[in-house]
Amino acid sequence: MATSRSDRSSLRKDGAPFRRLLIANRGEIAVRIIRACRELGIESVATYSDADADALHVRMADRSERIGPAPAADSYLSIEALIAAAVRADAEAVHPGYGFLSENATFARAVEDAGLAFVGPPPATLQSLGDKLAARRAVAAAGVPIVPGLMVPLVADGDGSVPRADLPGIGFPALLKAAAGGGGRGMRRVDNRAELEGALAAAAREALAAFGDGTIYLERLISPARHVEVQLLGDRHGSLAVLGERECSVQRRHQKLVEESPSPAVDPGLRAELAASARQVAATVAFHSAATVEFLVDADGGHYFLEMNTRLQVEHGVTELVYGLDLVAWQIRVAAGEHLSESVMAAAPLGHAIEARVYAEDPHRAFAPVSGRVTSWRMPDGPGVRVDAGVTADTPLPVEYDPLLAKLMVHAADRPAAVVRLRRALDETAVGGVQTDLSFLRWLVDEPAFVSGAYDTGLIDNRWGEGPALTDEQRSLAAEVARQARERPARSAAAGTVAAPLPESGWQQIARREAVGRRQPE
Amino acid sequence: MSDYELSIDGSEVQPTEGWTLTWLDQDSGVARLSDGTRSEVCLVEGSGADWVVTLRGRRIPVAVRTWRERVLADAESAARRHDGPIEVLATLPGLVVAIAVQVGDEVSPGASLLTIEAMKMQNEVRAPQAGRVSSVAVVAGQAVAAGTPLLRIE
Repeated sequence: MATSRSDRSSLRKDGAPFRRLLIANRGEIAVRIIRACRELGIESVATYSDADADALHVRMADRSERIGPAPAADSYLSIEALIAAAVRADAEAVHPGYGFLSENATFARAVEDAGLAFVGPPPATLQSLGDKLAARRAVAAAGVPIVPGLMVPLVADGDGSVPRADLPGIGFPALLKAAAGGGGRGMRRVDNRAELEGALAAAAREALAAFGDGTIYLERLISPARHVEVQLLGDRHGSLAVLGERECSVQRRHQKLVEESPSPAVDPGLRAELAASARQVAATVAFHSAATVEFLVDADGGHYFLEMNTRLQVEHGVTELVYGLDLVAWQIRVAAGEHLSESVMAAAPLGHAIEARVYAEDPHRAFAPVSGRVTSWRMPDGPGVRVDAGVTADTPLPVEYDPLLAKLMVHAADRPAAVVRLRRALDETAVGGVQTDLSFLRWLVDEPAFVSGAYDTGLIDNRWGEGPALTDEQRSLAAEVARQARERPARSAAAGTVAAPLPESGWQQIARREAVGRRQPE
Repeated sequence: MSDYELSIDGSEVQPTEGWTLTWLDQDSGVARLSDGTRSEVCLVEGSGADWVVTLRGRRIPVAVRTWRERVLADAESAARRHDGPIEVLATLPGLVVAIAVQVGDEVSPGASLLTIEAMKMQNEVRAPQAGRVSSVAVVAGQAVAAGTPLLRIE
């Protein structure tokens, strides 16, 4: 074993927590971690599958290691390949990002066994939180409200014996959930007793396929509900900072698309209750690093524990904006044994932040993922705008991975100003080559339920559906744009197009004027 | 005023006039669209007759065809509906300037058959389907009217 972790930081002459860190992830989160490393004076090592050899995260990192072929199971989910890469690169620490192996206790243990620091909680904590049903029991025992429902499995590993005695007390509609679950898989809504057996078999099959464990339990379906989560940051010395909440109710397929902090549904009283519950949940496990405690909030302001995720969340950026903290840098510093600073412990929120996720998905076809190549890529900038992106122009989109392209975040003095800023930022944004959810996002910022803040997890199903049909006005405008584009072909038009004898200087002047205009101070 | 026929999903569309397109990044097709009071960023991709306009994040495919392209495309799609021997007709009045095939040649769909000059532009007439050229009814230098039989493919 190498030097113990807590000693490492004292070995750094330059004060960097680690000399070199391997990133066991890809896309925008890998880029995000590279940026944190650079600011901390740590060399970053990107990992890549064959599909990502030319990806942005690989080009941005100080060095890179190939970990296998395109399928995630053979690369980003291969513990063996990742540990070998970390050893080859002589890394001192491994950051797992989110998804993939970020909450995998076996991976965390393998990292530590190789003498490296795992940027996350202890393996035993990942193990105990991995079983959602066990976590539910522990949290209930600690006195935190949980969603009413079963405390025991309805089906244990596909075995047909079902204890039905507890069912009458729960009532319908109810939700079947996988004990090993996450990401909406193994989740099924059940509206009455008659539907139960069929839905149960389907949920168990899905969970078994996704997690290798078909254990299912049942909770009452809380509807309407808002999905609110509390950000925690802890060190190895017992300090725990509660960094407010995020509202995550804009969801499709039980997965988030837009998050904001603070939640428009949370008043100071509920905020204090959520913080207290989150602390109680964290106290049930040995915890350090960054984590999120997820709750459902019902129409009466009651809150119910859902789960605790001991990793960085996709939406961590909105908390960073309102608290002025770098959560990724703190995860790394805590992994090296540092104490949370007084400024972290005393951090107070300022203003309002909203994140909109840009996915290669067609919101007009049930948000189905699309593949292809990003051709044009124009992201917004200007005051109060942050973009965490994993792609640039001319990037192929591997079908093997999550289609998240970028996270567009805004920060402003209050919620109305943040909504206006998000609308402005979306109006500056353009992605070519593939349909993205930008059309949904642009609709959302004008949708009264979102603008007022009075929305719940049913927003997309109830208000968007497949989105509005193209209006005659939009069709006419699109036609006019195409007509003008054809009449004024681009300078670097595709081969075969007429070489454009345009008054080139004129167009350049306009472009330059536009560019200069955008850079003028406001 | 437009010389083009515009269509979306196969239905003809009249363009809205009074909007100007200012390139922000012409190479990648990013432009500002303005009617003098409102403006927004849009994206235009494509070439020739096929374009995709992205407005407020939504991709809208637009066909922008000249009258000539429309006539040719219509003739081609009409010809495609046949299976057996087909007669290839001139879709434009013009002058036959070159014939690329001879009787007995095997042609595949899209192969160039002959060239007709019309309105100072050379238009290639292509094979609508695979087959063997069984007869050629015109010679180079011959003026043809729209609808004149040019050759047969069996």
